[in-house]
Amino acid sequence: MFSIKLGFKNLTRRKRRNIITALVIAFAFFAYLFLYSVMNGMEEMSFENIKNLETGDIQITYPEYWEKREELSLENLIYLDQDVDESLENIDGLSGISPELRFSANLNNGIDELPVMGLGIDPEHYKEVFTTQKYLVAGSMFSLDEYKAVIGEKLAQLMDLKIDDYITLLVRTKDDTFNTIDVEIAGLLHTPHPMVNTGTVFVPLDIAQQALNVGNSVSLIAVKVKPGYEENITETLNQNFRRKDLNLRAYSWRESAETVIALATAKKGGISAILSIVLLIGIVGIVNNVILSALERTEEIGMMKALGMREMEIVLVFVVEATGIGVIGGLAGCLLGAAGVGWLVKYGFDLTYFYGDMSMSQFGIPILNKLYGVWNFSTFGFLFILGVTVALLSSIAPALWAARKDPVKAIYHR
Amino acid sequence: MSLIELNKVKKSYQQGKIEVPALRGIDLTVEQGEFTIIFGPSGCGKTTLLNMLGCLDTPTEGEICLNGRKISDLSKKDLAMTRRYNIGFIFQNYNLIPVLTAYENVEFALRLIEDSSEKQIKEKVLKMLEEVGLKGLETRRPNELSGGEQQRVAIARALIKEPKIVLADEPTANLDSKTGIEVIKIMVKMNQELGTTSIFSTHDPQIMKYAKRLINLKDGMISTDERRGRGV
Repeated sequence: MFSIKLGFKNLTRRKRRNIITALVIAFAFFAYLFLYSVMNGMEEMSFENIKNLETGDIQITYPEYWEKREELSLENLIYLDQDVDESLENIDGLSGISPELRFSANLNNGIDELPVMGLGIDPEHYKEVFTTQKYLVAGSMFSLDEYKAVIGEKLAQLMDLKIDDYITLLVRTKDDTFNTIDVEIAGLLHTPHPMVNTGTVFVPLDIAQQALNVGNSVSLIAVKVKPGYEENITETLNQNFRRKDLNLRAYSWRESAETVIALATAKKGGISAILSIVLLIGIVGIVNNVILSALERTEEIGMMKALGMREMEIVLVFVVEATGIGVIGGLAGCLLGAAGVGWLVKYGFDLTYFYGDMSMSQFGIPILNKLYGVWNFSTFGFLFILGVTVALLSSIAPALWAARKDPVKAIYHR
Repeated sequence: MSLIELNKVKKSYQQGKIEVPALRGIDLTVEQGEFTIIFGPSGCGKTTLLNMLGCLDTPTEGEICLNGRKISDLSKKDLAMTRRYNIGFIFQNYNLIPVLTAYENVEFALRLIEDSSEKQIKEKVLKMLEEVGLKGLETRRPNELSGGEQQRVAIARALIKEPKIVLADEPTANLDSKTGIEVIKIMVKMNQELGTTSIFSTHDPQIMKYAKRLINLKDGMISTDERRGRGV
């Protein structure tokens, strides 16, 4: 078809304008791919940080505790008896369990006092579920029965503390009396989860239970599962609890990460909005290009009609040209996008450039310092096909407008 | 049956609230193979008449028959097809496609009507370009050709599809007199060789001597219609 050949040849006309239109499309593609990668990276990192540093894959507790879990109450605790142990035994895909006692405390360094969350853990079990211990930057993790604590490096800086210093945790016991936990700092953490770094004091579970006078009780049991087992194990655990007549329930980490999940949902809306803007930019660029081309080539359109070309053949000339610009812009955008996303995946970008010492946790996103992107190759393909299709479709109306020009007026329009 | 028959053809254009008559009742028949020149002062209706003959425009009143078919009965698509297969146009401004070479500009017109093999199309196009004196210039783009050469490409483009009628609206107006005469000579030659009916409009008295038939148009009406046998 000569119309197609002519359409392609026309791409070499008005090179500067075609290049600018293609670049606008390319930049819009790049921006979308980059932001998509950032948002997905933020979501993935947030989820990983929540699972690996805060909640585990599943949390087991009483519904009454769950409802008020933010209060760090010492009511409705789980008593670790044989029934609970048996409910957690022999479950396929379960790779670790970690009982935790969460409590409110005031951290005192002898001069200043700061409210924190105390977390009583059994380090041996804790490391089966959480990766926190990998982020020890000084000292070591304590053992059960040791009067020692691990805190975030940031918190230590804030309270002017270092390894081997003594701190006091002022707590309110189950019986509503005050007590203290005097511990020596054994290790300092620097995790990717800002809230762990700045607001948590880890102490041995047995020391915490004793100080809070809760016996062998814990707030919740965090569970680690093998990939893909989460749903099945949640169901199995709930069945086991019902069988044992326990009122316990297993909750997915998703239920703890409501803010981040809400942000992820908002992200989908945000991505759709960005995609709409990208497509709008493409449409405006293409429509503008076709209209300008048609105005410049009015005489040529008249000549084509005089030669007997049908309207659809003339439309095809313009549509091929516009689609060509869409393809060039789309390819350039995907290449730029690949470079941007590649950089983001490999090096990440430092959030401190934007937020200084503030962390993303202030916006409900548990990420510290560096944010890494993620690859999503299907997005590249989807965006390219969508972009080219939109370029093709958006060129039809202005091309029809051009092709329907009166041949006499077109030929003699000067 | 004549190739072209015009019966009381009138055409007027609306300019605001005023109706401006361009043709005021033309009766004309053109036979196959005639080499006709229409002349007259600016605004006398030459271009309007050519546009009607070329199925680019339709009359306000009267009827035009091409090969016995009334063009006012034809749809837009049929008019396009009539132009495609039966009519070749040559314009004052050449109207070549700047991104195509001389060869491709001619090939373009042929591709519209023929689905022959690449080899046959190539042979035909090269032969036509040679006929109009453009051998060796096939790969040049319009901006690499002189005005006369561009008009020869336009002639080749009009004739390549062997149309029944070639219409040329002041084809030499943008050329110097020597080049203009060369171009006209080519068209006379093609008229004689191919028997194509040729209708030109012009102001140029030098060119009029090549006509077999001279029609003088004045105020939208034919004032004289002179047949000159074989022309010069």
